[in-house]
Amino acid sequence: MNKLIIILLLLLLLFTSLLCAQEKQTDTIFKKRVLEKTEVDFLMSYYTQDGDHAAVTGGIGTEKLTDITPTFIVALPLNDDDVLTAEVGISAYSSASSSNIDPFDGNQPANPWVESSGASAKDTWVNGSFDYSHSSDDRNTIWGANLSVASEYDYFSIGFGGQISKLFNEKNTELSVKVNAYIDTWNPQYPTELRSGFNVPVGYSTNYKEFDKLGRNTYSFSVSFSQILAKKMQASLFLDVVHQNGLLSTPHQRVYFADTPDFYIDSFHLADDVERLPDTRFKLPIGMRLNYFINEYVTFRSYYRLYTDNWGITAHTAEIELPVKITRSFAVIPTYRYYTQTEADYFAGYNTHLSTQEFYTSDYDLSKFNSNQYGIGLRYTDIFTKLKIFKLGLKTIDLKYSSYNRSDGLKASIVSGGFKFILD
Amino acid sequence: MKLNKIRASFLLAIILVSVMNSCVAVKEYEKVYVNGTDMKLTANKINKFETSFQVYREAASGANGGKTGGGCGCN
Repeated sequence: MNKLIIILLLLLLLFTSLLCAQEKQTDTIFKKRVLEKTEVDFLMSYYTQDGDHAAVTGGIGTEKLTDITPTFIVALPLNDDDVLTAEVGISAYSSASSSNIDPFDGNQPANPWVESSGASAKDTWVNGSFDYSHSSDDRNTIWGANLSVASEYDYFSIGFGGQISKLFNEKNTELSVKVNAYIDTWNPQYPTELRSGFNVPVGYSTNYKEFDKLGRNTYSFSVSFSQILAKKMQASLFLDVVHQNGLLSTPHQRVYFADTPDFYIDSFHLADDVERLPDTRFKLPIGMRLNYFINEYVTFRSYYRLYTDNWGITAHTAEIELPVKITRSFAVIPTYRYYTQTEADYFAGYNTHLSTQEFYTSDYDLSKFNSNQYGIGLRYTDIFTKLKIFKLGLKTIDLKYSSYNRSDGLKASIVSGGFKFILD
Repeated sequence: MKLNKIRASFLLAIILVSVMNSCVAVKEYEKVYVNGTDMKLTANKINKFETSFQVYREAASGANGGKTGGGCGCN
């Protein structure tokens, strides 16, 4: 019965859309270039965090981390209808908790609260992607394809996908469908005491076994719908259906059992096992944006997301942005974001899991918490792109600072900058 | 995950779409407000880094017009 109602509602929606399209599709074909000139974006961020619940050390220990991410995005008009966008980004991070994959390679006694100076303290994530889009002559149909590659020391990913968008109702309504797949592979870096050859204390033994399947696949089907609701208001809906399978555990995250003996070297608790999570996950996020043009100075931007998955997590996200134009060129953008989630079925804190369980994790990213994020942005716009650097005219500068506080004590801050240039 | 949660989510989306999909059409020459930079129905480019760290630090992701998972050793 429920299926029948859903099918009927979908048919009604389709019929309404087509009717609107037929009634109001009176556009005269005037072919404007989809993208007038090549655009170059240079973006960068500096992120820092600290907390007391490192997943690498089983839910205790320092979470200190810094990350710098220079990124270039180039959007190139191939002709009147086609645009090719290329993105190259690097994320160079230094992580205290990752350094404790091997806490014994530093110059001081091993301790989960102290960063080790070993090779695992730093890594670089490199990402490249291409996105191609083609617009029809009447600009009512847009289709595209994308390809991405990402690599870091213990992870490699290839992603690809395609999408199609259809505009109806005098371009007041847009419906998009997108499919994507990521074929990822782990190069696991297990905690050093679990590796063969490590000189362990007398009596220390675990049931630990290496993972035999190292692939992680992600398949997503996304639908988005946007609608102009009035001259000053528009909204959009996003629905993603995501299926993941393969190695969904993070191989270097330790777990300690309450029902097994504890062994230490220095002040460091030796792992009983690594995180074990199910090899499938189904995610269902639904999001909504609503923007309202209050007046020529202020715009109201809002976002809400409901997320649920089959690991027992339900989450709500709400965000508000309020861009305020100070002058013709400058805008100040205060933002606030609230997030809350329930804990995963498989989560428990440090040294509280039982060895008889099938699945376990002490990763506090999967625990119950809420977070508050406050931000302030500044945007400079030069519509005439007077400032030139070689053949590139500066169009906009964006700067933003955000402070993030999680109820489990994790604190983070991020400074982001963006420069948009137009090629003459 | 309980099946009724999925059903409720789908139903909510369909009802919202149906409500939003009225036949009201704003003409091209009346779109000066909705075509403004701040009225875009996507996140600002500069927010991509914030979205990225949130994907690592939180269990939820997706439904924001961007990536839904994969491509990193994150949640």
